[in-house]
Amino acid sequence: MKVTYSWLKDFINLKIPPAELAEKLTMAGLEVVSLAELRGDFIFEIEITSNRPDWLSVLGIAREVSAICGKKLKNPNPKELKLKTKELLPVTLSVMDKKDCPFYSGRVICDLRVGPSPEWLKKRLEFLGCRSVNNIVDITNYVLFELGQPLHAFDLDKLGGRQICVRRAKLNEKIVTIDGQQRLLDPEILVIADKDKPVAIAGLMGGEGTEVTPSTRNILLESAVFNPILIRRGRRKLGLQSESGYRFERGVSLSAALGASLSAAELILNLASGKTCGYKSLGAHKITNYLINLDPAYVNRTLGTSISIIKIKQILSNLGLETKVKAKNILSVKVPDFRKDLKLPIDLVEEVARIYGYEKISRTIPAVRPGEKMFDTRDPACGIKNTLCGLGLHEVITYSLVDRSLIDKSMIKTDAGMVEILNPLSREQEVLRPKLFPSLIRCLAYNLDQQQEYVNIFEIANVFSNKGNSVQEEPVLAIALSGVNSFLVKQGLVKDDISLLHLKGILEFLFNKLRINGFDFVRQDGNKINIILGQKEAGFMLDLNQQTLSSFDIKNRQVVAAEVNLKQLCGCINLEKKFLSIPKYPAITRDISFIIKQDVSVKELLMAIEEKAAPLLRSAKIADYYQGKQIPAGFKGLTVSCVYRLDERTLTEEEVTPMHEAVCSSLRERFGIKLR
Amino acid sequence: MDINLIQEKIENDLAGVVSLRALEEVRVKYLGRKGLVAELTGTIATLPVEQRGAFGKEVNALKNKLLNFVEEKENLLKTKDNVLKQNNLDIGMPGIAQKPGSLHPITQVINEICTIFNRMGFSVLQGPEVETEYNNFTGLNIPLEHPSRDAFDTFYLKKYSKLLLRSHTSPVQVRAMKAHKPPLAIIVPGRVYRPDAVDASHLFMFHQIEGFLVDTNIKFSDLKGTLGLFAKNVFGQDTKMRFRPHFFPFTEPSAEIDISCIICKGRGCSVCGRKGWLEILGAGMIHPNVFKHVGYDPKKYTGFAFGMGIERIAMLKYGINDIRLFFENDLRFLKQF
Repeated sequence: MKVTYSWLKDFINLKIPPAELAEKLTMAGLEVVSLAELRGDFIFEIEITSNRPDWLSVLGIAREVSAICGKKLKNPNPKELKLKTKELLPVTLSVMDKKDCPFYSGRVICDLRVGPSPEWLKKRLEFLGCRSVNNIVDITNYVLFELGQPLHAFDLDKLGGRQICVRRAKLNEKIVTIDGQQRLLDPEILVIADKDKPVAIAGLMGGEGTEVTPSTRNILLESAVFNPILIRRGRRKLGLQSESGYRFERGVSLSAALGASLSAAELILNLASGKTCGYKSLGAHKITNYLINLDPAYVNRTLGTSISIIKIKQILSNLGLETKVKAKNILSVKVPDFRKDLKLPIDLVEEVARIYGYEKISRTIPAVRPGEKMFDTRDPACGIKNTLCGLGLHEVITYSLVDRSLIDKSMIKTDAGMVEILNPLSREQEVLRPKLFPSLIRCLAYNLDQQQEYVNIFEIANVFSNKGNSVQEEPVLAIALSGVNSFLVKQGLVKDDISLLHLKGILEFLFNKLRINGFDFVRQDGNKINIILGQKEAGFMLDLNQQTLSSFDIKNRQVVAAEVNLKQLCGCINLEKKFLSIPKYPAITRDISFIIKQDVSVKELLMAIEEKAAPLLRSAKIADYYQGKQIPAGFKGLTVSCVYRLDERTLTEEEVTPMHEAVCSSLRERFGIKLR
Repeated sequence: MDINLIQEKIENDLAGVVSLRALEEVRVKYLGRKGLVAELTGTIATLPVEQRGAFGKEVNALKNKLLNFVEEKENLLKTKDNVLKQNNLDIGMPGIAQKPGSLHPITQVINEICTIFNRMGFSVLQGPEVETEYNNFTGLNIPLEHPSRDAFDTFYLKKYSKLLLRSHTSPVQVRAMKAHKPPLAIIVPGRVYRPDAVDASHLFMFHQIEGFLVDTNIKFSDLKGTLGLFAKNVFGQDTKMRFRPHFFPFTEPSAEIDISCIICKGRGCSVCGRKGWLEILGAGMIHPNVFKHVGYDPKKYTGFAFGMGIERIAMLKYGINDIRLFFENDLRFLKQF
């Protein structure tokens, strides 16, 4: 909303310099986003919050200035026009549904002369960014800006049957609006119609067929109150932005509707001559006021202030709210009909605070009582992020909304279908992602494209799926790796290529850190490994195949990815710690180096060792792994380090040797190992 | 066995030793449990009684000499080794350590803000991103089909007429208040969604932090004090703050909060649009209608709530000029934080 300094002066004796006024308005809630000087005047551009349609007028802003500066407003109410009662209104008005249009008035002005507006009028409109058309249209716009009430002038002689009917549009009815566009209507849209066709879209825009032209002699001046919701729906449906719709949608007042019609008529008679030939209105006539009782103690309790009752009364009165002191120091506040935002005592508290000045309210530190339970729902996720960061991974944040093709190219089957967005702005916002890792693969591909050699990333975010009549939303952790050097110290287990073992290493580290009891990695098929937590499948690891990689434009790279359900993971966390005494007696370590068939699982092998040597064995670990020239094809070379120890005394060689030999021979029998 | 011959042989052996490891081998060979000296000592008992004393003395002398030799050699080798090592080490070489990973800057800002409020006694709570229309709007006193909803353009879901992607973190107010009785001191970080056209300062997904405090005697001045502490801790002790009246349907009175521009310290620059102030927060006293919706007695309880955009704060703190950088996840960007 724009307003000029000179126009405000019509309503109030301004002495305050414009820049200072701008600052005061901003601090009272009318944020002045720009102040420009133009040809001796000043233009304020103010951002008006949606609760204050009354500020969408020069008068409304002047009322505010009056309260801020403590200056009286010059009486803005136009005088009632004297009509020659003999003359009859040569039109019939009807409103189909009062809910759609609580008030409608038409004023007929005859024998007027349409022509250019005088310079002062043109200038005022121009400064507010409104183009001059002709004196009649300009006057309706002028009154719109001054009083906030949109008006419309119809060429009376072009109204079919000299009839006005406020009704819903019929299905597929059409109208050409004054901007030259043909618009298709339906029963959700309210129109002003004559005998047989719509002549205006109510509250939004007039029709071309009945607009005021230089040859117009007689007009019908409309001033009405429409249902804001209908105007809003129509505006959205037709994509029709207008000054008029903007105000109707936020709500106009009956008092403004009545005043504006008079004000405009007076201007028309002055500037376009003509004479009033009648006035007719339908609907509510009585302006209703609303009473709110306000306890000054409540004001001060809410704000943490000690503002006197006199000051409160003064502030409210200056805002145009008639305020009286009732018994027991309670204020009775009469709310005028243009302040529909004021309904509860708390609304008046804000009015007092605004004008008193937020800046004058002191700062206090509350005694925070945290409630029965102190919690941080981020807890496990935060720890996981820190751990992964410590392992050299970089956290990324990617969009939860994705394009369908991303999911397709990751070869994910979604049985229940994906959760689709009704109103995406682009294809990138089609669905809520059912899996997280595809976004990471895309992010990885992007970084490889930026000549990054090692891309090791993770994200914790929610994934979405259809479940019955609702949407299931669950947090997951996803990791994607392409390159190892940046985060894993070379262990000799695997050479430079990234492999699932690197991913497994990260997850094992994490699971151990979270002290998860019982996790396992089980091969499902060729390149997918299931992650088992507490006997339940909780995620997977993937070695991405060539087809997937090339669909992401990843060349000459291996990529592995994992996704773990965070809810399940958190369910298995067991952070209780218990001390075990440090061993008092020394251990004896024995290594076994052997070759074994490639297809024997190391996990089974270790389990067999543990089973066999249980009473003495404390741990059995893979100390070395090799394949190469010395090892025959189809075999792998392993060194297992076995640690034997007892808690209650020193083990002797004589005890360990037969046990270790028994282990070796059982491995020979069960797995056909060949000692080296 | 001629002790002197043995001693000579040992001296020759020791002269050839150039490393500590080789020295240890020689030591074990002669002085070890099964070494030569032990062997000689073992033979004493087999000698005639009159020879035992003299031979024993000789063996003892040999042992002491050997111990001295080994010790001397060891000291020599250790010193030499050190000098060698010190001369060869170029301290200009890169240190050897694990390469670090990084937390996303948004996570870092969220952590920082949550920590500040944690210290004041606030708990952290998160809520779902798919929300009901009720929690996102109606429960927060935002009427359907009202212009106040224009600020919250929203993504809706197909097939579910009453579900949407939350357009702010405020629905968690409704959830928390329905689940817990006052007093409540809660802070809510999370993702929010709005169908905004993408440019350098707008995205369709971003992060917010919501905070609220509900108790029997919470005042507007408490809101000012709490946010003042917050701003000084995040942006520096000399940060100024101003509260401007504003409108939010779920708070009354409502305020928008500016901090003095952290770039120009309030003098006016391009970042703050020459105003000297940067808007960073929306806040206010929780509207009695919100309390009614969750079943709190608005006569008994009062509270304040505030909300802020994390990306905006991160952009100001780190001098980032394009919001899209946060979600591009370029490692060259991420590694800077």
